[in-house]
Amino acid sequence: MNVLLMGHPNVGKSVFFNRLTGANVTESNYPGTTVDFTKGWMKIDGEDAELVDVPGTFSLDPKDKAEEVAVAMLHENKDAKVICVIDASKIERGVYLALEILEEGYPMVIALNMWDAAVDKNILIDINNLQRILGVPVVSTVAISGEGIKELTLKLKEAKPIKIEDIVKNAGGLT
Amino acid sequence: MKLTIDQRWDLIDKIAKQTVTFGEYRHTLKDAIGELTIKPFTGIPIAIAVMYAFWSIFSSFAGTLFTDGFMVKLFDGHFLPWMQDIFPGAGGWLYYIIVGDPLANNSFEALGVLTSGFFVAIGVVLPAIFIFYLMLALLEDMGYMPRLAVLIDTVLHRIGLHGYAIVPTILSLGCNVPGVAATRILETKKQRFIMMTLLAIFIPCGAQIGIMEEVIPDTMGWVLLYLITGYFIFGYILNKIVPGKSPEFLIDVPPYRKPMISNLSKKVWGRIVGFFKVALPFVLLGCGIVNVLYLVGFIDWVGNVFSPVFVLWFGVPEATAGPLIAAFLRKDLAVAQLSVIEMTPYQMISAVVLVSIYFPCVATFAMMIKEGVKEMLGALAVLFVVVFLYGGLIHLIGILLGVA
Amino acid sequence: MEKKLSEMKYEEEGIVTDIEETLRKKVAGMGIRVGKRLKMITKQPVKGPVVVAVDEAITSLGLDVAEKIIVEMKS
Ligand SMILES: Nc1nc2c(ncn2[C@@H]2O[C@H](COP(=O)(O)OP(=O)(O)OP(=O)(O)O)[C@@H](O)[C@H]2O)c(=O)[nH]1
Ligand SMILES: [Mg+2]
Repeated sequence: MNVLLMGHPNVGKSVFFNRLTGANVTESNYPGTTVDFTKGWMKIDGEDAELVDVPGTFSLDPKDKAEEVAVAMLHENKDAKVICVIDASKIERGVYLALEILEEGYPMVIALNMWDAAVDKNILIDINNLQRILGVPVVSTVAISGEGIKELTLKLKEAKPIKIEDIVKNAGGLT
Repeated sequence: MKLTIDQRWDLIDKIAKQTVTFGEYRHTLKDAIGELTIKPFTGIPIAIAVMYAFWSIFSSFAGTLFTDGFMVKLFDGHFLPWMQDIFPGAGGWLYYIIVGDPLANNSFEALGVLTSGFFVAIGVVLPAIFIFYLMLALLEDMGYMPRLAVLIDTVLHRIGLHGYAIVPTILSLGCNVPGVAATRILETKKQRFIMMTLLAIFIPCGAQIGIMEEVIPDTMGWVLLYLITGYFIFGYILNKIVPGKSPEFLIDVPPYRKPMISNLSKKVWGRIVGFFKVALPFVLLGCGIVNVLYLVGFIDWVGNVFSPVFVLWFGVPEATAGPLIAAFLRKDLAVAQLSVIEMTPYQMISAVVLVSIYFPCVATFAMMIKEGVKEMLGALAVLFVVVFLYGGLIHLIGILLGVA
Repeated sequence: MEKKLSEMKYEEEGIVTDIEETLRKKVAGMGIRVGKRLKMITKQPVKGPVVVAVDEAITSLGLDVAEKIIVEMKS
C-alpha cells in the first residue's frame, strides 16, 4: 500500500510521519517547513506500507514550488491512499482541500489534528455526523502526544473512493 | 464529479453548519502576545529586541564563554604543545601538513590539520553551531518566524521578494544548504532566483559567523555591514533586471506554541551529528589540501599570477590566495586562515568579505545544482560580476577613507 | 457600506462581497471567499501587508492582494 500524508502547511503532517515511520524529518511551527517529499515505511496490521510526507499545500492549484511538489506527488501516485491532515480549529478550509482530493477519486481518511487546540478554543465537532456526510473515516488526533494515530492507521483499510454526488446528497444538496 | 470553487464552499458551509459549533472563546495571554508581536508599533521594537538578544546570546555563549573560556585554554595550553611534542619528524613535510608550525604558540597559527583544523572545528565552530541552532529551533517552534515575515515584508519588497523570504535568509545564517532548499516557498522563478543568488553570495553561515566572532571581534561589524548592504544593493539591481513577476505575500500566521524540549533537542542533536559527519571532515580535508598546495608551491604561484588582481583591484595581500582556495570547502576554515596573514585591519575586512562572497562552499553549490542547473549558472554569473564590482568598491571606499 | 479590504481599519469587521476573478483560486484554499467574515488585526506601515482573522486562522495578505477584495462593513 502507498499512503500520502497531505494537508495544509503547518498542520502536523511531519509529526505524523515521524511517529509512524520512526523517521526524523523537521517539524517546526511555521508553514513551509517541508519543501520536498520524504518516503518511509510503516506497518499497518503487520503489513508494510509506504508512507510519504508531502509538503503542505492550501489547494490543488499550487502557488509556489513546494506546493507544486505536493500536487505532483498526488498526481504521480494515482493508486495511493491519502491521509488528509486537517487542523481541527480551521476545519472549513481543511475540508476544502479534502474535497478537492476526493473529487479526483482518491480514497481517504481524515485526521482532525490539533484536537487539543480546538478543545481549548471551545470548538465542538460532531465527528460521527461529519463521517456520515463525507463517507470517509474521520479520526480526532493530537499528533504531538500520539493520540488517535493508531486508530487512524487502522481506518486506512476502510478508505475507498467517494462520489461527490453522495456527499452533496448527504449534506442536503447545493443551493 | 468536480465542483467549482463556489459550489465547494457552498457544500462546506452546509457541512459545517451540521457538524461544527463554535463555543464561547475568551482571548488568552497567548493571543494577546500574538497580536502585540505583529502590530507594527509594538512588533517592530520587539523584533529588534529579539534579534539583538539572539546576537548577544550567540556571541557571549559561543565566543566568550565556550571558546575563550574553555576551548582556547584546552587547545593552546594542552593539545597544541602535546601534538608538537609527540608528533615525529618536526620540520618534515608530514609534520608540516599534520601539525604545522612547530613553534606556533596558538592553535590558529599552527595551521596543521590536527592542530588548527581540530581547533577551528571543535573549539570554535561546534559551540557556535550548538547555540545558533538551539535559538533558531526556539524561534521556529514558538511560531515567531511568520510574524517576523509580516513585519519585514515592506523592506524585502524593494528587492523583488516579500516578507517570507526572511525564512530562507534566516535558515541560511545557520547553513546555506537548507536556506537554498527553502527558496521553494517563494512563488515565482524570479523570486527564487533572486533569493538563491543573494543567499549564496551575501549570507555568511553560522560556522563562519562563529569564527569571525573569534578572530576579528572588533571589525566583524564592518564585514556584516558590507554583506547586508550588498544583499540589498544587488537585490535591488537584480529585481530591476531579472524578468518575471514578484507576486504579493499571502501567508498564514500560526498561533504561538510552547516549544517541546524533545523537538528542540532533536533538532540541535541532528545538527551536531551533521557537524561531525560533514563539517569536521571537510575542515580537516580543507586544511590538508591547502597545506599540500603550499608545499608544492601552487598557492604562491596562484598568488603571484593573480597578484595584480589581489593587490591592485581588491587591495588585499596576495597571500589571501590560500584561504580563498580553502573557502571552496569551508568558509570557517578560510576565515581562520586569513586571521594569521599579516595585514591592516581594513585589508582584513576586505579579505573576509571576499571570502564570504566569492564562491559558495561545495555543499551549497551541490544544493544549488539540485534546484536547477540553469539557475545555478545564472547565479554564478551574477556572483562573478558582484565579486568584481563589490570587491573593487570596498577597496575604493577604503582608499577614500584613507584606511586601505 | 462597502470598502476594500486594504482600507479597513484596526478591529473593523466585515463580510467579503467580492474578490477579483484572478485571485479567487489563490485565496480560496486559505478560507477567504465571498460571504466570509473577516476581522482586521493590523496593517503594516509604508504599503505593508494587512493581517486579518478568518475564523480561527490569522492570515496576512500583501496590499495589492487586499485591494482586490471588497468587504461589506458590519455596522
Ligand atoms: N498543539 C498541537 N500542536 C501540534 C499538533 N500536531 C502538530 N503540532 C505542532 O504543529 C507544528 C507543525 O507541525 P509540522 O508537523 O511541522 O507541520 P507540517 O504539516 O509538516 O507542516 P509543513 O511541513 O509546513 O507542511 C509543530 O510545531 C508541531 O509541534 C497537535 O496535535 N497539537
Ligand atoms: Mg512538514
